[in-house]
Amino acid sequence: MDNRNEILALMAEAVVEGNRDKAVSLARRALAERLDLHLVIENGYVAGIQKVGELWEKGEYFLPELMASAEAMKAAMTLLRPSLESSQAELSSKGKVVIGTIEGDIHDIGKNLVASMLSANGFDVIDLGADVKLGIFIERAVAAKADFICLSALLTTTMLNQRRLIAMLNDRGLRDRFKVLVGGAPVTRQWASDIGADGYGENALAAVKAAKELIARGAKP
Amino acid sequence: MSPMVKILPGGTAIEARRGETLSDALEAAGFHLSLYCGRRGLCGKCFVEIVRGPIPEPTDAERALLQRRKLPHRFRLACGYRIEADTVLRLPPESMLPEMPVFTRGIIRSVGLAPAVKKFSYVLSEPGLNSPPALLDLAKERFPEARLPESVEALRRMAAEARLPDHPDREVTAVLYNDRFLLAVEKGDTTGRNYGLAVDLGTTTVVVEIVDLNTGVVIGTEAGINGQAKFGADVISRIAAAYGDPERTGAALRTAVVDGLNQLIEALYQRTGIRPDSVYEAVIAGNTAMNHLFLGLPVDTLAVAPFYAAFSILPAVPAEDTGLRVNPRGRVYIAPNIKSYVGGDISAGLSAIDLEHRSGNFVFIDLGTNGEIVLKKAGKMVATSTAAGPAFEGMTISRGMLALPGAIYRANLKDGSWVVRTIAAAPARGICGTGLIDIVALSLKHGRITPRGHILDPDKKIIIGDGLFLDQKDIREIQLAAAAVKTGIRMLLAGRGMAVADLDGVFVAGAFGNYLNIRNATAIGLLPRIDPAKIFFVGNASLAGARALLLNLRERIRCERLAGRIAHVSLAMGEDFQKTFIEALNFEAWS
Repeated sequence: MDNRNEILALMAEAVVEGNRDKAVSLARRALAERLDLHLVIENGYVAGIQKVGELWEKGEYFLPELMASAEAMKAAMTLLRPSLESSQAELSSKGKVVIGTIEGDIHDIGKNLVASMLSANGFDVIDLGADVKLGIFIERAVAAKADFICLSALLTTTMLNQRRLIAMLNDRGLRDRFKVLVGGAPVTRQWASDIGADGYGENALAAVKAAKELIARGAKP
Repeated sequence: MSPMVKILPGGTAIEARRGETLSDALEAAGFHLSLYCGRRGLCGKCFVEIVRGPIPEPTDAERALLQRRKLPHRFRLACGYRIEADTVLRLPPESMLPEMPVFTRGIIRSVGLAPAVKKFSYVLSEPGLNSPPALLDLAKERFPEARLPESVEALRRMAAEARLPDHPDREVTAVLYNDRFLLAVEKGDTTGRNYGLAVDLGTTTVVVEIVDLNTGVVIGTEAGINGQAKFGADVISRIAAAYGDPERTGAALRTAVVDGLNQLIEALYQRTGIRPDSVYEAVIAGNTAMNHLFLGLPVDTLAVAPFYAAFSILPAVPAEDTGLRVNPRGRVYIAPNIKSYVGGDISAGLSAIDLEHRSGNFVFIDLGTNGEIVLKKAGKMVATSTAAGPAFEGMTISRGMLALPGAIYRANLKDGSWVVRTIAAAPARGICGTGLIDIVALSLKHGRITPRGHILDPDKKIIIGDGLFLDQKDIREIQLAAAAVKTGIRMLLAGRGMAVADLDGVFVAGAFGNYLNIRNATAIGLLPRIDPAKIFFVGNASLAGARALLLNLRERIRCERLAGRIAHVSLAMGEDFQKTFIEALNFEAWS
């Protein structure tokens, strides 16, 4: 029992430290020792990423730390997910996300962070990259039966395409199928509500929080 | 045998070709005469004293000019004097091309005085009764190659000014642009009043200089905030305001910037007593977006990827179309945009430091609201712009401000407390860019913040003084701004397979000027770690460049050629961009 708690604490620690190698070797150990993977994820790695969130809120962590932690978490999850029972895998996926930097914009560091954090928090993430045409966003989201479309824009000019995408969803009668989350340096809560987005994240952690809240409100799954 | 020409003072002897003009022979030997009128014998600025040798009869024009300048009979115009025999001559200092220093501090660079706008005074010929020539033909009699204006208003003005009954002495002054365009004819001799404006059109601040084009001397300078500030602090917010609506918002932005400039120009006129009519040219050095907005050109293509401009090189445009408060018949020249966001402010800056003619490998950094970087290696230049944002101009920082009186521009930590210097020694009311860098570097050194930028004090504040502090968010803004610049330099160097050690120098332009503490800027990683003797602060290089382009027409041609040759890279498209940027966020010296 003590031993197991110790491993879970180490897993959390690996994520907090952003130590990818440590996170991965602990995941291997969990598989080898046939530990309850659900417990490993929730009380180990997820606990770690929650701690990272706290450190971010307190201003102790900044982008490099966030990025490293998300990467460590993602590496461990990639290893663990195939071994989860299919029912558990279903359970562990918080939802399917199609994410990208919007048409006309090539800045994708922020988007990558959000993608990593969503993935680290158990979302199934399909990252379409940068300068993603509006039509492609919709096609891919439909094909993947996504729950969320996440749109990043780093410029006040390209931000306008977030509005256009929502209009396109409306025109095609697809608006109710997806929750649309928007973010990026110039994006504000006001803008998100003006264009009729379902949620907004000021930063990567806030985006995760917004997605989780939407799920909790019974949006899906 | 070729004739020899001995030049006094100094006694240099040169060999000349028989029949060659003295001005050509002297030019070839490296003596730069003032050839204001382009060797046409009109301006009388290249008189030399023939001490020994043949002295041919003066031409009528020469005789008139000798009289007017009250020169002895043995003076001749070098541009008209043909060398036929051995000659000894004396070069009066006033006949030499004046060289104007471009910088008042930092590095040395000067340009010859050869402005685009030139004035010539002369006496209009008397029209005969038989077949009298047209007035304007008379006016341009001496400039057969010059064209009359295409603006009807300018023609009306010109005909009115030249009307003979109004001034019986028939003396007029022609205003020529680039030797080819007759801009105006003024009554009487106005050659002594020929001024130009050099403008640094920044996103945040705007500086205007009024320059005497006869002497190259700066008569006055005014600085202020760009009138567009109300539309947002950075370039993108301005573009966004005009995006998709050039008719309305675009026009509003244009009005805002022109009005702001005109206020500064008006203040200059008030202070110097110079009249707008005597100003026939303004040279503007602005970034790509500012240049577009100043002219009211659409910025839509700058708004979204692949971020391209509507224009790079433009001919000087009619001043009356710009709304600038100068002589409406004058011209406004926009320093050429390089590519994308790297605009005329950078091409002008490069002209100012004459990067083209410096041998070696150099980095040029202009730290404004956008941080632009140019790398020169083996004669080739590549440029990029970074989204540094306005943090170093004090925007987005709680107690940040521009480098205006009362701004802390230097800070030191002595025995645990801050000792600061403020601009104009006024009571401290904010912190400008160089102050921010000092505070961060010293807080880092004394363990008040971590290299990750985390403030260790439990209150999460670095208290500088009464009501003056940096909080955690401020530090994050500085990290982002410094990382943007650092990433830009790193990626340009990496792109050309270079290390910092390969650099012969780093030019730092922008508002930081001489105040930037090199050690501190290096400690936080803003500047690469390099021998401080290789770092040159050049101050407002854009303004100095605008002045160089105003003073010398050839500089413009060189600048345009250069702008067309500089390659451009988009940082965000680089493969290692994210990794480089994330790594650059930590406050640490370059490894």
